[in-house]
Amino acid sequence: MTGAGILLMALVTGAATWALRALPTLMARSEPRPGSVLARFLAATGPAAIATLFMASVAPQLFPVPRDLLPLAAGIIATVAAFLPRRSVILATLAGAAAYGVVFALVA
Amino acid sequence: MTPNPGFRAGALAAVPIMLGYFPMAVVFGVEASRVGLSTLQAGMLSVIMFAGAAQFLALALIASGAAPLVAAGTLIAINLRHILYGPALMKAAGQPKRRWAALWSWCLTDEVFAQALATFRTGQRFSEGWITGLGLCAYAAWVGGSVVGAWAGEELLTAWPALEAGLGFIVPALFLALLMSVASRESLPAVAVALVATVLGALVFDATGAILSGMIAGALAGVLIR
Repeated sequence: MTGAGILLMALVTGAATWALRALPTLMARSEPRPGSVLARFLAATGPAAIATLFMASVAPQLFPVPRDLLPLAAGIIATVAAFLPRRSVILATLAGAAAYGVVFALVA
Repeated sequence: MTPNPGFRAGALAAVPIMLGYFPMAVVFGVEASRVGLSTLQAGMLSVIMFAGAAQFLALALIASGAAPLVAAGTLIAINLRHILYGPALMKAAGQPKRRWAALWSWCLTDEVFAQALATFRTGQRFSEGWITGLGLCAYAAWVGGSVVGAWAGEELLTAWPALEAGLGFIVPALFLALLMSVASRESLPAVAVALVATVLGALVFDATGAILSGMIAGALAGVLIR
């Protein structure tokens, strides 16, 4: 792909990505009726999306060939254990990453 | 009455995202230099696209010599999931005013969406300054990491494999922590179905299919299972 082709690809993708992120926000002006199908769908979308993104982010380590399972388990356990006492997202994230890196080094 | 959280509070809330984005973007920059992109081109891709998974796929498409518009169509398909984020966030925030949504929505990536949603679920009020601070700092970390990675080349990461591995787990850890902060008894069916559907989607389709399967099946479960 030429330099101009790369720029064209980036511009088209960037414009469409902006539209996907912004237009639904700009167009959804009214609150869905409480208890309606749309309200329940949107309320469930958030937790479902975050659960999906978590699973999708660890799936490459599980399928098709499992790899680095001990660091993965250590990272997950440390994240949960660090989150529970204070419900701090920052602390839990850093603890999980640190545990993953330490166990990765020990296993290697 | 407590004032609405502003730009600075949003920037502070972006810290875990920045810690995840910067090293990921460095990896992107390194990969970009491997497929022959200059530092300027790698930075340009991050400035114009700001979409991690799509950008990594873009490198593969560039390397394979795909036609630009065909490549763009593939990349747009990967980003389709973002269409759900804005309305879900606005619902969680109580449908606030959004004069500048055309600007801050640009930064509504997976991680920014998840962090914002978790914050609003704790009762924090929405402000456009806050979400702009959150999104812009994440954007800056992503663009900065891309440029550093492309400039430094692959030696930057190969010398510290354990550090690279630990940094690579920041994003999964962030999603897990955010999931624990938003999950409730009512959302358990949606979460459980999303997890299972993502695994099935990964086995049957590809990564994009897995993400779309998980999100849609989970959200539908939230509607159907009461």
